Amino acid sequence: MLLRCIRAENQKLHGAPIWLVFLVVPLISCLYGSYNFLQNLGLLSFTWYNLWTQHTLFYTLFFFAPMVGVYAAYLWRLEHLGHNWNLIMAAPVPPVDLFIAKFLAVAKVTLFTQGWVFVLYVVCGKLWAGLPGWPPLQVAVWLVRGVVGSFAIIALELLIAMLIRSFAVPVLFGLAGGVSGMLMASKGFGMVWPFALMQMGMNSNKSEDVLAGSGGVFWAACLIWTGLLFAAAAALLRARDVRA
Amino acid sequence: MQTVIETKGLCKVYGRQFAVDHLDLTVPEGCVYGFIGPNGAGKSTTMKMLLGLIHPSAGQVTLLGRTLTPRNRLALLRQTGSLIESPAGYGHLTGQENLEIVADLKGVPRKDIDRVLEIVHLTGDRKRKVGQYSLGMRQRLGIAQALLGSPKLLILDEPTNGLDPAGIQEMRALIAQMPKSCGATVLISSHLLSELEQIVEQVGIVNRGRLLFQGPLTELQRHSRGDVCLRVLRPRAAAEVLRESGVRAAEGARPGEWTLPPLREELLAELVRTLAARGAGVVGLTRRTKTLEEIFLSLTGEPDSGEEAAV
Repeated sequence: MLLRCIRAENQKLHGAPIWLVFLVVPLISCLYGSYNFLQNLGLLSFTWYNLWTQHTLFYTLFFFAPMVGVYAAYLWRLEHLGHNWNLIMAAPVPPVDLFIAKFLAVAKVTLFTQGWVFVLYVVCGKLWAGLPGWPPLQVAVWLVRGVVGSFAIIALELLIAMLIRSFAVPVLFGLAGGVSGMLMASKGFGMVWPFALMQMGMNSNKSEDVLAGSGGVFWAACLIWTGLLFAAAAALLRARDVRA
Repeated sequence: MQTVIETKGLCKVYGRQFAVDHLDLTVPEGCVYGFIGPNGAGKSTTMKMLLGLIHPSAGQVTLLGRTLTPRNRLALLRQTGSLIESPAGYGHLTGQENLEIVADLKGVPRKDIDRVLEIVHLTGDRKRKVGQYSLGMRQRLGIAQALLGSPKLLILDEPTNGLDPAGIQEMRALIAQMPKSCGATVLISSHLLSELEQIVEQVGIVNRGRLLFQGPLTELQRHSRGDVCLRVLRPRAAAEVLRESGVRAAEGARPGEWTLPPLREELLAELVRTLAARGAGVVGLTRRTKTLEEIFLSLTGEPDSGEEAAV
């Protein structure tokens, strides 16, 4: 039944305006990061790793979580508008599958976003900054790890967007979450805060791997947070009356 | 005949207010059942409870012979099609894509889409975005969504809402044929009795969450009989007949006009025969249909004045 829900969610993404957000937001973030890198070459060495620190500093702090908020808010807005709650909840599928399908749809778009971020990183590094050679393969691993780190953010933002009909709330929540993630990680509480997990996975603003030796804890934290949020969504969908 | 929907003591309470108050609904198999009541009477809430979208405060729902529980809800929903509150749909997608979503969610082969589009006459518009559809087209798309998978039970909440007269007529024709064409039992709601009179066989009247009447339409029509307006050429002769008959007739605004109470057909026929025989010259006899509010008053116990008068 989950597969049926996934097919339905994929269909809803056809021609969806969130693809514009997907294209533009990482572009702004990368341009800003590259510009900052080039303006601070006195402090930063001219390497791919340092370009990465500047790209991810802005991307994970200000852009990523609000962007996931837009994805989540959009997918639930489709149901909030036009009595579609009645339609999906009267379908013969477990309600939690509807939530998981939306989660997977946002995770898919997030994965594509990370790919787009990598392309922009390479293009900015080669064509704008003129960095020698090619970026380290480790960066690609960090990008994929960032997707895993984003699972809890996606589930949390989807939960908020499911409960609150306002489009702006998940986006603003994401903005506050991004900043809070950096603060929590700097205090050493990164593993217990969803917004910090993504930044740690991405190795944001760091050129040394922050998860070296603690990869298992990171994965466990991601899975536990995501599992807890799925359970909360399932309980809410089961217990609440449908208001279309 | 098997019962497709049965509720026993079904209640929904919001705060201290009963939205649905101990409702005992019985919908026989293979019929079109009209669920009628004014706005806010509890029709949508009841329908949502039948689908498990709202949790009842008390009472139970039996669908297709099985008591609705969280455990068998999905199995029952597989045999049910619904259109609740207003047509759903995703405006940025085409009619075809919208139906594909519902087909996927229901686990119905996508080839069934052609059949339902044909039934609701939307085959030619399947590639248009639903955001560009008229309200009537969206209603028909909603019906098509409900029909996917040929469900045994259709629950349609005010499907004629917002439609123009031609659209209402078309929707009525579509729904009336469903028991025959699709083998489905239909529960359809409306706030207008007149809108459903031509297509329903069974009727349930609900007001303030309580079921005031349930039974065959013919039985309800007895309650919906309104006053009769009589017009004659010779008022003096008519006045004499009316006085003798004991019917409590009120004189109208113009000479030769009377308003008679809602008499039974047989009594009315007898009265007209006597008027004619005594040379009153009957030139007009019009029965006014009661409004739903007046029927409610009649169902809640207000007597039909003059009904039992002898002719």
